Amino acid sequence: MSPPPFRRVLVANRGEIAVRIARGLRELGIEPVGICSDPDRTATHTLAFPRMIAIGGQTALESYLDIDKVIDAAKRASADAIHPGYGFLSENPAFARAVRDAGLTFIGPTPEAMEILGSKGTAKDAAVAAGVPVVPGSNRDQGDDAMLAREADAVGFPLLIKAVAGGGGKGMRSVRSKEDFAGALATARREAKAAFGDDRVLLERFVHPARHVEIQVIADDHGDVVSLHERECSVQRRHQKVIEEAPSPVVDASLRQRMGEAATALARRVGYRNAGTVEFLVDDNLDFYFLEVNTRLQVEHPVTELVTGVDLVHLQVHCAAGGRLRDLLGGRDLEPRGHAIEVRIYAEAPANGYLPAAGRLQLVREASGPGVRVDSGVRTGDEVTVFYDPMLAKLIVHAPTRAEACARMAQALRDSVYLGIETNVDFLRRVVDDEGFRAGDLRIDFLDRKPELAAGPADAPPDLALVAALLAPLGVAAAPGAGGSRPASTTALWQSVEGLRLWEAAR
Amino acid sequence: MTLKKTFVRDGEPVDVSVSLDAERRARARVGTQAYDVEYQALPGGGVRLVVDGVACDAFLATRGQRLQVRLAGTTYELEIARGRGAAAAAGSGVVEAPMTGTVLDVMVAVGDAVAAEQHVAVLSAMKMEHKLVAGVAGVVREVRCQAGDLVDQGQVLVRVEPTPRE
Repeated sequence: MSPPPFRRVLVANRGEIAVRIARGLRELGIEPVGICSDPDRTATHTLAFPRMIAIGGQTALESYLDIDKVIDAAKRASADAIHPGYGFLSENPAFARAVRDAGLTFIGPTPEAMEILGSKGTAKDAAVAAGVPVVPGSNRDQGDDAMLAREADAVGFPLLIKAVAGGGGKGMRSVRSKEDFAGALATARREAKAAFGDDRVLLERFVHPARHVEIQVIADDHGDVVSLHERECSVQRRHQKVIEEAPSPVVDASLRQRMGEAATALARRVGYRNAGTVEFLVDDNLDFYFLEVNTRLQVEHPVTELVTGVDLVHLQVHCAAGGRLRDLLGGRDLEPRGHAIEVRIYAEAPANGYLPAAGRLQLVREASGPGVRVDSGVRTGDEVTVFYDPMLAKLIVHAPTRAEACARMAQALRDSVYLGIETNVDFLRRVVDDEGFRAGDLRIDFLDRKPELAAGPADAPPDLALVAALLAPLGVAAAPGAGGSRPASTTALWQSVEGLRLWEAAR
Repeated sequence: MTLKKTFVRDGEPVDVSVSLDAERRARARVGTQAYDVEYQALPGGGVRLVVDGVACDAFLATRGQRLQVRLAGTTYELEIARGRGAAAAAGSGVVEAPMTGTVLDVMVAVGDAVAAEQHVAVLSAMKMEHKLVAGVAGVVREVRCQAGDLVDQGQVLVRVEPTPRE
């Protein structure tokens, strides 16, 4: 057995991804060190680490986004490397550079590659240079609106205006016709300026209807790049993914190979290192067009892990330490096996425009069983605050076929309990049970076309639900070890019962 | 022992009573319907209910006047009747924070006359703005928050005394 590539690694993140990375590090014999903000002092992710460093601050900006605080924490912990997870500082080249300058290893790509791929403009140029198909469009914004209007005519309508520095749908506008162009351009510029401090935009033909299909790549420091195949992420709300799966229902071996070759060609072109995801639009002719590169581990990485059998966090760590993919993956069959689906469990109200919810999780019971994986960042009693992303957990299933994976997911969602705040669990089950979803008939406007899935049934609660409301607290009171009395608050009751059980088990 | 509660369902009050007549057995009444229910606590919270030989698991959370019940894989939001009858379940003069967030603006002061559906405050949460409206026409009797306050879900922000109906 070779020695661990690092002795100690700081995980600069929170929630489920901090838990997942900590687990991967421990499996490699590496000591993970966590960080937490003030509201997160008792958060579930802190339990995944033998050592936590409280970096203070309330908001993300004052904590997980503060480069100096994170580097300082790594130094205090004598860490050799930093894993940024996703979100927060993960795609910030200044952070990657600061980590390097501090004499530590950044587990991710070089800041130079992040800079090229972080701007939609230079990323698209690199894709063209690597021979990767791109959506027809214009990337010559010099701030001249009249010139852009002429370019728009050349691109053709409908088209998309996108912020050059953009992401997450901000600064993005679809324009149906020439008359709407000037107004949409002004709005997109304003949003882009506010969100990114850069109001330059690019124009792209609106490929519609389209699927969102992305390729997972991993690159070592020695020029080797491997494709770990596609994920289909077409089910989106407000430009954010909700359900992801691998393989894609429409990608066959030949398309998989062509997309994989395009993705690895782009990665080679920019000297990419470590894990990354190349996103494509796929139209109904199964032609694919480059969209952007996410220079980090993705939220949806587990579906790739389940169908290829690789551990992406392990690979990231080994590659960051100079390992060779030839040695790490040599001789392994990486062809996708079976079908994996992931759903993102959010604290939000789908019926109310997916409005984020906050509050106390009074009861959490995770799904389990054969082929069920839960990457979770919460437990019973956790406070979901307004300070951070409302994702609670990811539920991932693996089964031999897509149909079996859908059935497994629907049951796992029925078995999932997240109570105390609104969540999208029942909405996700309706989506997974939807005929169109079951048929794999997915486009990025899938949810927009089926508003009834978000609205949910208008059914009044059945009689048994009302009876259950009276009996549920009583049932807990009658549980062995809980005594006979009924405390006033069911919340307090659950806490006391759990505490009592743990205490008795310990004795 | 008999447990009783009145819920609001489809805008109508529904009386629910559960009489416990033996260990893990209960006689439940929902409106005019009667049920024999066996129940058993589940480890970690929740209860298993058996009706006519069919079992299903139920879990509960309380959120002020509302309850969340997860029954057989579906979550239902239940509303407990305030006071007596369905009238109390209609428009309310109490403006609560629908979610935890920061108060951005309060547009009314004590003594102001407001119309039903009039904006009285703006709440910001997760970078989204949420306009809060008075449920009834009336006069503002209490303002319990100011711009900048961090408020919890369900916290009362403004209280409006409804104008008496003619």
